[in-house]
Amino acid sequence: MAELYELDLSSASEGLKAGKFSPEELFDSCWKRAQSCEKNIRAFITETEDFAREQLKNSGKSSSIFDGIPTVLKDNLCTQGIRTTAASKILGNWRPPYDATVWKLLRESGAILMGKVNMDEFAMGNTCGNSAFGATRNPHDISRVPGGSSGGSAAAVAAGYVPFSLGSDTGGSIRQPASYCGIYGLKPTYGMVSRYGLISYGSSLDQIGPFARTVRDLQLVMQLLAQHDPMDSSSFREKNPDFTHNPNVNLKGKRVALVKEFQSFTLDAPISDAMKHVEKILEDEGAIITEVSLPIISKYAVACYYALAMSEAHTNLERYDGVRYGYTVQDAKGIKEMFERVRSYGFGSEVKSRIIAGTCLTEPSRCEEYYVAATKVRTLIAQEFARAFENTDFILQPVTPSLAPKIGEVDEDEMKGYETDLYTLPVNLAGLPGLSFFTGYAGKLPVGLQLIGARWSDPELLNAGVVLERRLGSPKIADGGVE
Amino acid sequence: MSELIFTPVIGIEIHIRLKTDTKIFCSCSTNTDVEPNTHVCPVCMGLPGSLPRLNHQVVEKGMLAGLALNCTVQPKSLFFRKSYFYPDLPKGHQISQCDLPIVAQGFIEVHDANGNLKKIRVNHLHLEEDVGSLHHSASDGRLEGAAISFVDYNRSGMPLAEIVSEPDVSSAKEAVEYVTTLRRRVIYSGASDVELEKGMMRFDANVSMKCSDGRWGRKVEVKNMNSFHALERAIEYEIKRQKKIMLSGGEILQETRHWNDAKGVTTASRVKEFYRKFIVEPDLPPLIIDQAWIDRVTSMMPEMPDVRAKRYVQDYKLPQEVADFLTDVKDLSDYFEACVKAGANPVRAAHWVRTEVLRVMNEKQIRKVADFGISPETLTNLIAKIDGGKLSTTQAKEVFDYMSANNCGIDEAVKACGISEGGVAGNMLEEIIKSVIAANPDVLDEIKSGRDTKGKKLKFLQGLVMKEVKGQAKPQEVSQTLEKILNA
Ligand SMILES: [Zn+2]
Repeated sequence: MAELYELDLSSASEGLKAGKFSPEELFDSCWKRAQSCEKNIRAFITETEDFAREQLKNSGKSSSIFDGIPTVLKDNLCTQGIRTTAASKILGNWRPPYDATVWKLLRESGAILMGKVNMDEFAMGNTCGNSAFGATRNPHDISRVPGGSSGGSAAAVAAGYVPFSLGSDTGGSIRQPASYCGIYGLKPTYGMVSRYGLISYGSSLDQIGPFARTVRDLQLVMQLLAQHDPMDSSSFREKNPDFTHNPNVNLKGKRVALVKEFQSFTLDAPISDAMKHVEKILEDEGAIITEVSLPIISKYAVACYYALAMSEAHTNLERYDGVRYGYTVQDAKGIKEMFERVRSYGFGSEVKSRIIAGTCLTEPSRCEEYYVAATKVRTLIAQEFARAFENTDFILQPVTPSLAPKIGEVDEDEMKGYETDLYTLPVNLAGLPGLSFFTGYAGKLPVGLQLIGARWSDPELLNAGVVLERRLGSPKIADGGVE
Repeated sequence: MSELIFTPVIGIEIHIRLKTDTKIFCSCSTNTDVEPNTHVCPVCMGLPGSLPRLNHQVVEKGMLAGLALNCTVQPKSLFFRKSYFYPDLPKGHQISQCDLPIVAQGFIEVHDANGNLKKIRVNHLHLEEDVGSLHHSASDGRLEGAAISFVDYNRSGMPLAEIVSEPDVSSAKEAVEYVTTLRRRVIYSGASDVELEKGMMRFDANVSMKCSDGRWGRKVEVKNMNSFHALERAIEYEIKRQKKIMLSGGEILQETRHWNDAKGVTTASRVKEFYRKFIVEPDLPPLIIDQAWIDRVTSMMPEMPDVRAKRYVQDYKLPQEVADFLTDVKDLSDYFEACVKAGANPVRAAHWVRTEVLRVMNEKQIRKVADFGISPETLTNLIAKIDGGKLSTTQAKEVFDYMSANNCGIDEAVKACGISEGGVAGNMLEEIIKSVIAANPDVLDEIKSGRDTKGKKLKFLQGLVMKEVKGQAKPQEVSQTLEKILNA
């Protein structure tokens, strides 16, 4: 029989409910698996075994499918009494006095917290290497990055530590690591999942979402998390969406568009092969492949994104001054020196450069030209997407033009960098849902692609994911560098 | 050479704490009588991951205050992040509507130097959050140079309205009338109690000078005035200071100055103003106020003091100055209205409220009419007893004092004062009058002789009778009975 840690969320839950194994046995298997991989993968910032074992004492009391299911959280999600760092030195040993809404929902449903996992500092980065706690490695090839910023969340699910996890996506931070690690990751519509308790990067772009090894598991997590939260003013107020899993959904008559402007972009062979393969499958399933044109997005989205993300980020990071929590100094002479020393030591260089960029972009003499202009361009971008979705149901495109790169490998190709950004950032600018899905392997590395839907189409998007998973097959658990 | 004339050009910014149960962006209580850092939560402490959520009560109070200043409610307003670093500011930025306010374009009327009415235009009123409060060990009570500083975040997130005037104010006197009238109207609107001693109203003034030779002085921002008196003194000081510099041909620096109330001077701010920039608060959606909401709040809007005073003159026939006096303080005016509503004669009620009620409140140092022990209904009953001839005015005052001192009802007070209602009358009164006449034969002679043309001697006899009955007889009955006996 397969090890318990290999079970996906639905199967593990069914097994628990049928009494085939206990929550402790499930946790022990997952914990043992995590411990055997961790020295290679380094996904954890904080392991919470003791907390988990306390939680397990109360397992079996809830009818929720999450009861007794282990999970990990990206370390920018607040957990009451448990160290939360955002992978930064500046938060020190801060233990939040409250739970993020997403964790509150999971905890109350009986989910077991195995740990808080690594990320790029304050979610700024795409390798999970820009962390005060060191780099996390890709479980399919530990010489490669897991992607970022939610690299720890993706690696933990790919290596079988846990069947599902949560991350956050400000400009691709769920979709890209899901793709590099060969699992499924959903960046939901902005406003569908409460951000209360998510340490902000770019507030108008940030969105929490799940990672899992099946689309069905994403549906289960979304069914729990997609509900109105009065603590988040951007939380939707409509009735809860229906994420019920139907294994027999189909795509007959659905229109799936490719972006005209992206067709000339360079793709590595495994990615372009996967694109062709998926197009064929979609047609096979009765979908109609079309084309949409996104000229404004192709030209302006990247600059617009950076202007807004940096502007919001630098104000979100103003609160870290050493006065109330986190890292501080005791012997500063005066308040100015205290602020300077706390922030100089506490922030990493990438964070500092984004703070400086954001400060410059919103500085009174430049504010109109950059920040204000970007807010206007953003409206145009949202309108362009809205028009596109009048003529199509989904947009199919890569998440990245290449597979997971080697750790420390820097791609100097600026054009490729720009094109990479264009695959992920516009989705956040327009608040759209984006699904990163597994298509297969090129050698030992997984290949992922991205399907984008109109705002609030998350349930349909996941239904399309179910069809794709049915045809393309589900990912295997990565060897985690141990086998 | 003609003498140079200097005209002060003054704009005033006022911060008022709005009256709400909870803070502007969280559900912490706004009660301030608690230990430091007890009314705090992740939101008003600016903890990582926390998000603001707008309190609708704050929006309504902001609308009410705006309407009291004759402003127009804006259908769409926005919140911004106003960035600067200071330990009392937990997020490193203040959430404020600074650039797109909830209400705009109103005015307040004041009297100019010639006693004519002039309008001080109100540019806008916007909503924002208050910061925490700092307590420093330094001798001057300021952050710089303090060995230890403490921060209390109970005040952080308290709802504030910032009211910005146009530079229409021309003197310290006008400034004081502007803030006094504005405060009165805001209290009437129910938006705030504006208790000055609790720091619910703070002032900044922008003062510059225009000289008749065409020179304009630069704008100086004067901060840290917490009372009407401080505002008046600070502006007067600043006008004098700037005039002196301009007379000697000097340049006024554009700067922020700090009012030192103890020394009565303004001093250049030692810290350079923090560099500020604004971005839209991404965690709060635009505040949309539809016409139905505006209508609902407008209908909630209580009568303003000037309207009320007019009504007192027209309906109650009160003199203008009495009406102005009564409406100056809302709760006093409310007390008066309650008396009238309970059936009191308005003129008499106004008199009692202005004299006796205020006298006792002053004597007992009662600040709020609500804490005054005698209810409007009781006062109304007391007045009715005078009108009905059951008590003389002197007696009624005695009863009033007894009630306020002993917190009791009218009947008990009357008894305790040894007064029998209605007093000495009928046969008993006749007998007393006869004995008084018998004891004063010379006076009787004078009256009978017809020399008492002015009725002085008759009044004298009445006085003696009243003294004899200890005031417990109806004056009318005394004079009637007296005349009857004299004419018999
Ligand atoms: Zn609070």
